[in-house]
Amino acid sequence: MLYFLGRRILSALSVVLVTLVATFALFFIAPTDPAAAICGERNCPQQRYEEIKKGLGLDQPKVKQFADYLEGLAVGRTYINGGVERECKAPCLGYSFKNDRPVLEMLGNRVPVTVSLVAGAAIIMLTVGVTIGSMAAKRRGTAGDRVLVTSTLVISSIPYYIVALMIALYLTIFYPILPRGSWTPPTDNIGKWVAGLVTPWLVLGLVNMTQYVRYSRGSMVETLNEDFIRTARAKGLSDRVVTYKHALRSGLIPVITIFGLDVAGMLAGAIFTERIFDLPGLGNLVLESLVNFDLPVIMGTVLVSSIFLVTANVIVDIVYSLIDPRVRLS
Amino acid sequence: MSIGSPGSTVGVEDHPASAEPERAKGVAHGKSPTRIAMDRLRKDKVAIVCASIVLFFVLIAIFAPLLAKLEGGNIADFNPKLIDEFGFPTIGVTPDHWFGVEPRTGRDNFARWVFGARPSLQVAFTATVFGTVVGVVMGLMAGFLGGWVDRVISWVIDFVLSLPYLLFAIALVPIVESWRGGSMNLTPEQQSSTRFFVLIFVLSFFGWAGLARIIRGEVLSLREREFVLAAKAIGVSTPRILFRELLPNLVAPIVISASLALPAYVTAEAGLSFLGVGLIEPTPSWGQTIATATNWFQADPIYLWLPVGAITILVLSLALLGDSIRDAFDPKTRR
Repeated sequence: MLYFLGRRILSALSVVLVTLVATFALFFIAPTDPAAAICGERNCPQQRYEEIKKGLGLDQPKVKQFADYLEGLAVGRTYINGGVERECKAPCLGYSFKNDRPVLEMLGNRVPVTVSLVAGAAIIMLTVGVTIGSMAAKRRGTAGDRVLVTSTLVISSIPYYIVALMIALYLTIFYPILPRGSWTPPTDNIGKWVAGLVTPWLVLGLVNMTQYVRYSRGSMVETLNEDFIRTARAKGLSDRVVTYKHALRSGLIPVITIFGLDVAGMLAGAIFTERIFDLPGLGNLVLESLVNFDLPVIMGTVLVSSIFLVTANVIVDIVYSLIDPRVRLS
Repeated sequence: MSIGSPGSTVGVEDHPASAEPERAKGVAHGKSPTRIAMDRLRKDKVAIVCASIVLFFVLIAIFAPLLAKLEGGNIADFNPKLIDEFGFPTIGVTPDHWFGVEPRTGRDNFARWVFGARPSLQVAFTATVFGTVVGVVMGLMAGFLGGWVDRVISWVIDFVLSLPYLLFAIALVPIVESWRGGSMNLTPEQQSSTRFFVLIFVLSFFGWAGLARIIRGEVLSLREREFVLAAKAIGVSTPRILFRELLPNLVAPIVISASLALPAYVTAEAGLSFLGVGLIEPTPSWGQTIATATNWFQADPIYLWLPVGAITILVLSLALLGDSIRDAFDPKTRR
């Protein structure tokens, strides 16, 4: 088990490291010119341009820039800008080109938003999706089951952002049935926090739930046909216990795997939800930074999201190996 | 086609196809999997309806200039006379402007709508073709050659699949743009056409890996089969084995993957354009129109509903069609 864990974590670290190199290569080695972007479009005095470049460390060779970045991540680094020294503690992601704030702090402000959004939606997605899915599996082949399967197929085939946008426009603005999306930290006012997030939760959760209805239905249909279920029935256990205690436990395994990856994907890509409901999360941060070509911020976000994704992969693998001992052997 | 009456053997040896009338009497005798799938699709009502809708949109895209001419509108003409001082259009649906005009600019909605079908389909189809070709070639090479080629390609596949796709796609757009000279030194037209290629590049970059992994797995099992060994033994060259022996056995996964990729790409293109990192003015695109139209949706719902309806129906049909195609190729599903 320990060997399996070690190997899995090592391979995850290698992916993070390569992501780091790849993002750096993309964003810093590409012939982009953030200095010109900061200085202001076309008529930028040469001297000012050089100054900005020096201040950002863009006049250094690329390899040196990358080494500095890595050093900042690992042990922290000191920035010297216009004679002022600033200590940036590890893990240092640098300073925003645009407003000169530490990237780590900017990300720190955004992560709670995205995490709150995804956590609420994930709970809805999993509980509602699995409940409906296993109910459909029990009533397999009936008219209700067929209607359900078809409607989930149709809903999950429509682009998500269209559904979210239409609900945002028509149910929160045109007919204000649901509260509009907004962000209040839960530590400030928990009621406002819930009110601002309830619509995004419902939209993100219920639209994505449709896949879980299908996954869990398929998985439960298979499980309900297994021998151990027949044994459980033969023992005289009630239908409820058989379905929700015996079958669900085994049928949930594949669903949990997909769930772990989905949550990670949502953490890295709840961009549409954040944009449509105007929530200041990670995705919105990237969109804002793109306008100014704020490289350190974009790179920091990409890096943090990749780490989310890779970590989730590892956790899913480990959980999976705990549930199913066969995985460790292969 | 038939030479001689059914049952006669005249000409059968030189023309194996002439034996068909006889076979047709039996049921499913020697049909290729693709033939079986096509037969199943033809009987599938959902697939037929969806295919017709997709065809309808393809025709709109192809004949967009003709349709616009028929109506008399133009995608680029500003009509300041048709909008009031606040930017609201003063006309609704008229014989001159079938779907009304855009708020603020007064451009013709119908013309922009029919032309908007073009980038969606062009980007999606091109990205699908690129993604499929790269995925198939990579998968074939990794699976068949093995060794370090396999290790390198497999690692790249794992890497691409582990990246946060949407975030990277968004971040890549300005980067790739800057390779082509940066957004500041380009005219809007140049920038707009650059975005077009950037989108195709970004979508195919993330699209090939999934297919490559599937193909690699299939090839791993196929390459140990007798017909491949036989081909190797008689000295057939590697490219020929790959493309003439193995490829025909991979039709099903390729077709399925491509048909599921299409709706995903249409969705992605419109979504990125909606976020402002996809296609931009002056190219008419549905995603971008949706983004603008959200500011006007109460006063001018038709402006919003045109692209929303089009994307929804197109993606839905493509997705359901893809689903039917997958079912048709799957020997396990029976209706």
